[in-house]
Amino acid sequence: MSKAKLAIIGIGEVPTGRYPERSRWDIIYEVCLQAVRNAGIEKKDIKGVISVAPQAQPWLTSEISFGKIPEELGLKGCKDVCICNAGGASTTNCLRLAEQWIDSGIANIVLIPHVTVHSTIPIEEVISFFGTAGMDLQWEYPFGTTYNGMMGMVTQRYMYETGTTAEELASVVVALRKWAALDPNSMFYKRPLSLEDVLSSKMVSTPLHARECNVLADGGGAMIVTSAELASEITGTPVYKLGHGARYVGACPVLREDFLVRNGWSEAAKDALDQAGLIKEDVDVFEFYGAYPLNQCVMLEAVGICEIGRAGKFIMEGHTSPGGKLPCATIGDAIGRGHTGSGVSMANYIECARQLIGKAGERQVPNCRFVLATAAGGSGMNATVTIWGREIP
Amino acid sequence: MSEYKKPLPVVQPWSKPFWEAAKRHRLMIQTCNDCGLKIFYPRKYCPDCWSANLGWFEASGRGKVFSYSITMAGVEERFAEDLPFVLALVDLEEGIRMMTNIVECKPDEVSIGMDVKVTFRDVTDEFSLPMFKLNPKK
Repeated sequence: MSKAKLAIIGIGEVPTGRYPERSRWDIIYEVCLQAVRNAGIEKKDIKGVISVAPQAQPWLTSEISFGKIPEELGLKGCKDVCICNAGGASTTNCLRLAEQWIDSGIANIVLIPHVTVHSTIPIEEVISFFGTAGMDLQWEYPFGTTYNGMMGMVTQRYMYETGTTAEELASVVVALRKWAALDPNSMFYKRPLSLEDVLSSKMVSTPLHARECNVLADGGGAMIVTSAELASEITGTPVYKLGHGARYVGACPVLREDFLVRNGWSEAAKDALDQAGLIKEDVDVFEFYGAYPLNQCVMLEAVGICEIGRAGKFIMEGHTSPGGKLPCATIGDAIGRGHTGSGVSMANYIECARQLIGKAGERQVPNCRFVLATAAGGSGMNATVTIWGREIP
Repeated sequence: MSEYKKPLPVVQPWSKPFWEAAKRHRLMIQTCNDCGLKIFYPRKYCPDCWSANLGWFEASGRGKVFSYSITMAGVEERFAEDLPFVLALVDLEEGIRMMTNIVECKPDEVSIGMDVKVTFRDVTDEFSLPMFKLNPKK
């Protein structure tokens, strides 16, 4: 029997894309107002703001860290403010902290916003940021690390150990872009890719082709969360958080014993499902966020859906695609959405809510009751798994 | 050599002996004199037993490629002249894994499991970076 302590009651989002003309605060206004209106509450009802730390935008991070959002939006009921930075797992930790604020009574309704505008950061700064984020400045960076290079090495090892083929890996991108093509909030809406498109794109960091790497995007999202009890009074469609598991696997890729993080995902998923009182067969959608195609494979193996080395074939057969028997990553992960830094997990949780409320449009998985979502921070420093439901089992 | 534009290692006080030895083209591994752990990367205290009684020994310089990626695009401008280059993880005989570059060969000659040995690149007066080259068994 799970005891839900938190529920999502409102969501707001701008589509991913390139918005050099929009200021970051312009996007913050939009997503926060959307989320408040979607929740059917008033702005004075918000008692706390816990923000996702934006990456590679130090001035914005400072402004948000030091309390500007409640002031800017005129949230006069706000009792406290905080920012969480765990890279791609930031939103996961915002939710954790919100749970504590709600449970302890400091804030019964919490706003969790995120914004990132990559397109106005000079390209050299962006490359340098991602070349050092989650890499060691003494033992890794001097050798020319990039995210693509690091994930290239992980992918190379995965293919070596499992026999996964280039075609199977490329088919992960095809599957993710099929979902994205159905998502009006994706920069790749109505833009699917063929296997040939992926395999003929230029090689960036072997074995990764350009289409197997991420396109950086601008975007923003926000959620309103509250207690399970209050949620059921405010809305007819609360989205309950039922379980949470996490494993730290190490900051530097060079030292990571669990190199593919398969054990980390497996243990975190088990903890999350146990806490929810569910088994993997209860899950209707697996919202895997791993940013690179091999992670979809590793997660399918870690959760116990595919035998080790069989996930690529499983995905290539279409089982995780729209209409497949096991829908995975219904916004297409970062590959399908465009990479918004720490914003991908925000988009992923918003999608969990959409699927459970039944508002996922053409991506809607019929009769969706339970969703499993993953998020990782840094260059893969941790594995976090959460379970969401439209009911409390 | 003063024109080297690429990032240099950000050294901590306890890793100085590693870089001092590297200048003399010797690859050193930190070790715990109490519990015997071979430590990489170097720490202030042993990550197993938190002993401060740490020492150094010289590695054979031989190892095998654990994984690699040929970087062909998407690097900072200062690395662009090196493209394509091989980013790699090498497992030393002593049980230590290091990130490095595989040099002195065509990138497509590299594969997982290959034997390699250390070769030092004198990039500035202060720093020689440990890189690896193929070391085919005779």
